[in-house]
Amino acid sequence: MSSIKPFSKLPQLNTANVLLVENEGKLQNDLADAIVQQENNVNVTVRLARGLPLPAENEENRPRIDLVVFIVHLSSELSLVSTENSLKQLDTGYFLGKVCFLVTGARCGLVPDERLVSLRKLAGSLHCPLLFAEDQTREGVSTAAQRVLKILRVSAGLVPMVTGLYLSSLTRCTVPLDSDGSVQD
Amino acid sequence: MDPDELLKNAKALSKQMSEYQGILPPDPPVSKQCSEAAWEELLVECDEQFNYMQQLQNDIAVTDADSSENQLNETENRINTLTAELKQWEESEPRLLSVNPEVLLSVGREELSQLNAQLEMVLSCCQAKRDKLREILKSERKWLEEKEEVLRAATEQVKALQEENERLSETSVLLDMKKKLKKMKDFQDNLLSTLSDILQEHFPLPQEGENGNKRKKKFRPEPRGDLISLHDILELLMNKTVETPHEPYVVMNESFWPPYIEMLLRYGIASRHPDDSVKIRLESFY
Repeated sequence: MSSIKPFSKLPQLNTANVLLVENEGKLQNDLADAIVQQENNVNVTVRLARGLPLPAENEENRPRIDLVVFIVHLSSELSLVSTENSLKQLDTGYFLGKVCFLVTGARCGLVPDERLVSLRKLAGSLHCPLLFAEDQTREGVSTAAQRVLKILRVSAGLVPMVTGLYLSSLTRCTVPLDSDGSVQD
Repeated sequence: MDPDELLKNAKALSKQMSEYQGILPPDPPVSKQCSEAAWEELLVECDEQFNYMQQLQNDIAVTDADSSENQLNETENRINTLTAELKQWEESEPRLLSVNPEVLLSVGREELSQLNAQLEMVLSCCQAKRDKLREILKSERKWLEEKEEVLRAATEQVKALQEENERLSETSVLLDMKKKLKKMKDFQDNLLSTLSDILQEHFPLPQEGENGNKRKKKFRPEPRGDLISLHDILELLMNKTVETPHEPYVVMNESFWPPYIEMLLRYGIASRHPDDSVKIRLESFY
C-alpha cells in the first residue's frame, strides 16, 4: 500500500503515463485502447487501477505517473463514494494540475441531481478540470480519449510554455451560482 | 454547407493557391541530414539537460524527506506553487534550443511549414464565415425593406383616418342629424298636405241640399251635421295605429259616413275587428 508521489521519479524521454482509476472497470479498457491508438508522437502508457492506494508490489517498476484520471459513473452511488475514498489516499502534490475527473452518464434523466452537484463541488474545491464523456459509442470514447490526451501532454511537460498547474487553473471546474446568491468557487 | 458549395469553395481556394504558388520559393528538400557535428552537439546538450534534471530530482527528494508531512491546506499549497511558478517565469530568459545554425534551420523549416498549413486553414475558415455573413446581411436587408414598406402603408392609413376624424367632429355629426330630421319632417308634412288636398278634391263630404236629396230623404237618417271628412277618418286611424300599436282599433260612431267606410274596407285599406263590427282599424302595410 503505497501512495504515489508526483515527482519522486525521473521522467522518461518522450513518454507520458496516465493512470485511470475506475471502480467498475467498464470504461477503462476502451478508453485505454483509444488513447494508445490516437497518440503517435509520444509513447503513452496507460495504467489501470480500481482504486487507490495502489498495491506496493509494483512500486519499483512503476514509472512516474503524470496524470491521474478518476472515472466516475453517475449512474451508481458507489462510484462516487469509492472515488472520494481514493482521493484521500492521493498525495496532495497531485492536485496541482495532475488530476482530472471524467464523468459519464450526466445526460441520463434518472440520475439524481445531487450526485453531479456534489461531484462538481468536489472538483471545484480541488481546482481540477471536470470532463464529461459519453461512453456508449465509439466516437464518444475516442473524443474522451482525445481530451484526456491533451491534458496528459500538458501535465507530462511535453507542451512548451504550459505547465499542468497553469492548465488546471484555466480549466478548473467551477460550480454554478447557488440559488440564494452565494458564489461557489 | 452542401457538397456543391463545398466544391465551389475548394475550387476557389485551389485557384488562389495556384496564383501565389508561383511566387513561393521551391519546397525545401525533405529532411536533409544534419551533419555529424550538429548531431553530436545536440547530444551533448541533451546530456547536460539530463544531468540538470537529475540534480533537480535529488534536490526534490531531499526537500521531500526534510519537510515534515504537514498537509498544507489545498489552496495554500496552490498559492505557493503558483507564486513559485510565476517567479520562475519572470526570472527565466528566453534562450535558443542550440546555437548550431543547422539545427535551427531544420527546426525553423518544420515550424514554418506547420504554420503555413494552419494559416491556410484559417484563411478558408474566415472566407467561409465572411460569405455566410454576407448572405445574412442580404437577407436582413430584404427583411428591413419589407418592414419599411409595411410601416409606410400603416402611417398612410393612420393619416387618412386622422383626417377623417377631424372632418367628422361631434358638432358636424349633430348638425347632419338635425338636417336629416328636418328633411324627413318636411317630407312628411308635404305628404300629408298632398294627401289632404287629394282627399279634399276627390272625396268630399256629402253636401246638404244637393239635387235629388229631397227625394231620398228617408234614406238618410244619420245626422249630416257632424260627419267627419275622409281625411279626418284616415288621420284617426293612422294616429291610433302609430300611437297604440297594441290596440289599433277605432270605434266607429255615427259621424263616420258608411260609404267611405265601405270604400276603405273594400280596397283593403282598413279592416273590421273580427268580433266586433263597430271597430275598425288600418290594415298593416308594413
